[in-house]
Amino acid sequence: MQRRDFLKKTAEIAAACSFLPKAPFLLGNTQPPDLVVTKDGSPSLLVRRALEELGGISRFIKRGDIVVIKPNMSWDRLPEQAATTNPEVVQEVVRLCIAAGAKKVKIFDNTLNEARRCYARSGIEKAAKDAGAEVFFVYDGNFKKVSFPEGELVKSWELYKDALEADKIINLPVAKHHSISGVSLGMKNFMGFLGGNRGQFHRQFDVKVTDLNTKVRANLIILDAYRVLLRNGPSGGNLADVELKKMVVAGTDPVAVDSFGATLFNLDPQRIGFLQIAQKRGLGETNLQKLTIRKLSLTS
Amino acid sequence: MPSVRRVFQVFSLVIFFLLFFFATYPLTRIPVDFFLRADPLLGISASLAARSFILKTIPAFVLLCMTFFLGRFFCGWICPFGTTIDGMDSVSNAKSRNDRFLRFRWIKFNVLIIVIVTSLLSVQLVGLVDPIPLFTRTVVTFMYPLFVLFTDGLFRFFMSFAFLEETAFRIHEGLRGVLLPIHITTFQNSIVVALIFLAILNLTYVHKRFWCRNLCPLGALLGLFSKMRMYRRLVTEECTQCGLCRKNCRMDAIEPDFKSTNNIECISCMDCQKICPVNAIQFGFVKKPETTKVNLSRRRFLASGATGLLSLGILKIGFSNPKKNGYVIRPPGSLEEDKFLDRCVRCGECIRVCSTAGAGLQYGGFESGFTGIWTPILLPETGYCEYNCTMCGQVCPTGAIHPLTLEQKKEIKIGTAHFEKTRCIPWYYGENCMVCEEHCPLPDKAIKFRESNTIAMDGKESSVLLPYVDETLCIGCGICVTRCPVEGDRGIFVTRANEERWTG
Repeated sequence: MQRRDFLKKTAEIAAACSFLPKAPFLLGNTQPPDLVVTKDGSPSLLVRRALEELGGISRFIKRGDIVVIKPNMSWDRLPEQAATTNPEVVQEVVRLCIAAGAKKVKIFDNTLNEARRCYARSGIEKAAKDAGAEVFFVYDGNFKKVSFPEGELVKSWELYKDALEADKIINLPVAKHHSISGVSLGMKNFMGFLGGNRGQFHRQFDVKVTDLNTKVRANLIILDAYRVLLRNGPSGGNLADVELKKMVVAGTDPVAVDSFGATLFNLDPQRIGFLQIAQKRGLGETNLQKLTIRKLSLTS
Repeated sequence: MPSVRRVFQVFSLVIFFLLFFFATYPLTRIPVDFFLRADPLLGISASLAARSFILKTIPAFVLLCMTFFLGRFFCGWICPFGTTIDGMDSVSNAKSRNDRFLRFRWIKFNVLIIVIVTSLLSVQLVGLVDPIPLFTRTVVTFMYPLFVLFTDGLFRFFMSFAFLEETAFRIHEGLRGVLLPIHITTFQNSIVVALIFLAILNLTYVHKRFWCRNLCPLGALLGLFSKMRMYRRLVTEECTQCGLCRKNCRMDAIEPDFKSTNNIECISCMDCQKICPVNAIQFGFVKKPETTKVNLSRRRFLASGATGLLSLGILKIGFSNPKKNGYVIRPPGSLEEDKFLDRCVRCGECIRVCSTAGAGLQYGGFESGFTGIWTPILLPETGYCEYNCTMCGQVCPTGAIHPLTLEQKKEIKIGTAHFEKTRCIPWYYGENCMVCEEHCPLPDKAIKFRESNTIAMDGKESSVLLPYVDETLCIGCGICVTRCPVEGDRGIFVTRANEERWTG
């Protein structure tokens, strides 16, 4: 082949390549997106596909890991009322972790209504146990007061022992409206690890929830937006406040996941207090334009 | 080799404790209040005060019928308090007889008369002196918390060893919810209950079964019904008059001739049968039973009646501070206050069962007057009424709390919340809080807010969300108070304003 032809061919191929989608198997490019949003499937399918696009569960969970999964099961509500994480979402994540070789998958929450009722009515206790997780109630004696070295207002607080000692933490919040912060998503969900007078945590909430997320870091966040609580959150109760969105948002950047979650409520993440503070302190990115977001509809 | 009776007693006590453990979420069909429903004194007293026959107490009347034929076997074979006292008597090596206290026997009849007279005139005192509610209260506020403290401490000790931690944790976790609570609750006014119980146990140092012989009004009632019992102690001609039976009788029910028995006091413990060296004693049926006379003169009877009326008078003219009264919040489904007080036997089953849910109910003190002692009241600072729960009405043995359906419960108001604006964070500091609104369980929340301009603590102008209570919606459950982060006097409190009682 003549050199001119070779150069011409190379240029054509390069031009053709720039129009190809960023599918890893085509380009050999293994860079996963910042966020994956799956839509229109069953809860377990939504979770499974989202994780595949993120690089698979083995990207996060290694053999022998002790994993703590933090769903929201703080309220004595049915899954249909969208105050708690969808039990099928939780079950799928448990299943995947165990398949990836996790030594133990622990699930617990410091609930806001009576614990047994919350665990039962949310459906999470049964779904998680069926998949092989260890589900237990919080014990007053297992909270340890630890220092928050990066905390601005929260210098120390009681955190649950099992959360502190976990190898990996997976945050599984449900997308809800909240009167003070606007939305209750992943960053707020970690409050279920806290002991002490949690009411006090709500003063200057935006700063404190950011402080919490400097101390507790998730390896993976999967936001359950299968059903979304649009009003009267975070406890809800009225089915008329629930919208069936059939979506799941997954990522490793807690600020990014929450930012995308805010848009589900038609809120601008750049206007949400705690997200702005979190970004300023380097916890993640609120500007969705700067992120690679892969959206998949599972019916088409 | 334990006797049949001892086995029966222990079995009965075990059942009592089992029913206690079953009085938790989720409630099953097992009647956890069975001992209270089978208590004839409660049945008669509550029905008299309520002026209607309380169906739940039918087992009590069955027991009364059985007592008529079989005698005071309940005291000797079933009563959990009696069993505890027997145990104490063994441990302390108590005396069977103490001549100095022979005349104390009539006190129990007086107590009985006082209780019946006051019930007739609608003041309910039976719960204070009847052994079953007394023992229930003791288990709820004293024995069980002590057991939990001990067991919890034991587990913490084992969990402090790294190699035992895993196993200890698993066992501990398995016991929680059943034997151990999920969250440990303490009870106000518990020290008095404990002291009374311990004081009664210590009467063992006077003689055996002091409470049963001299003070227990239930024993007095069952004793009276045993006057013509057909099943009784029988002594044959073999009797050598050795006197061993009388010396060892735990109820001092054997007359000086060793053959006659005081059938009002005899609880059929059958110790005399065992101890008789010539087997002259047995227990059996007699076709024409002789009646034992009650040792209660007319003068004493009238004196008791008068005491009853006097106590009634004292209580009825007693002062009830409206400042305190306004904070008396009763469980959902409670009857009108006077009807409630007629039926409530102060057992605390509702309080026990609530401690396994929102833990809002506590034993009352004198907030609703003297007659209010040990009745259930909501103390929102330490607990709240769990929205999806109806357990209190289900366990109430006398219907003082009417059992509600979940739909009825969610609508009935037990009180109303009010903001204390000098304490509430948004109102006082101009900072957002809203923890109360967050927790309000109603689908259409009773706490709402209005945005307002304010000067914050740093002097700068800002806006704040000021909360208010929509009184048409608020049911007074109290979770807003329980969760309010303000220390001391909270930013929100609940009164009995707008309360709705069950009127059938």
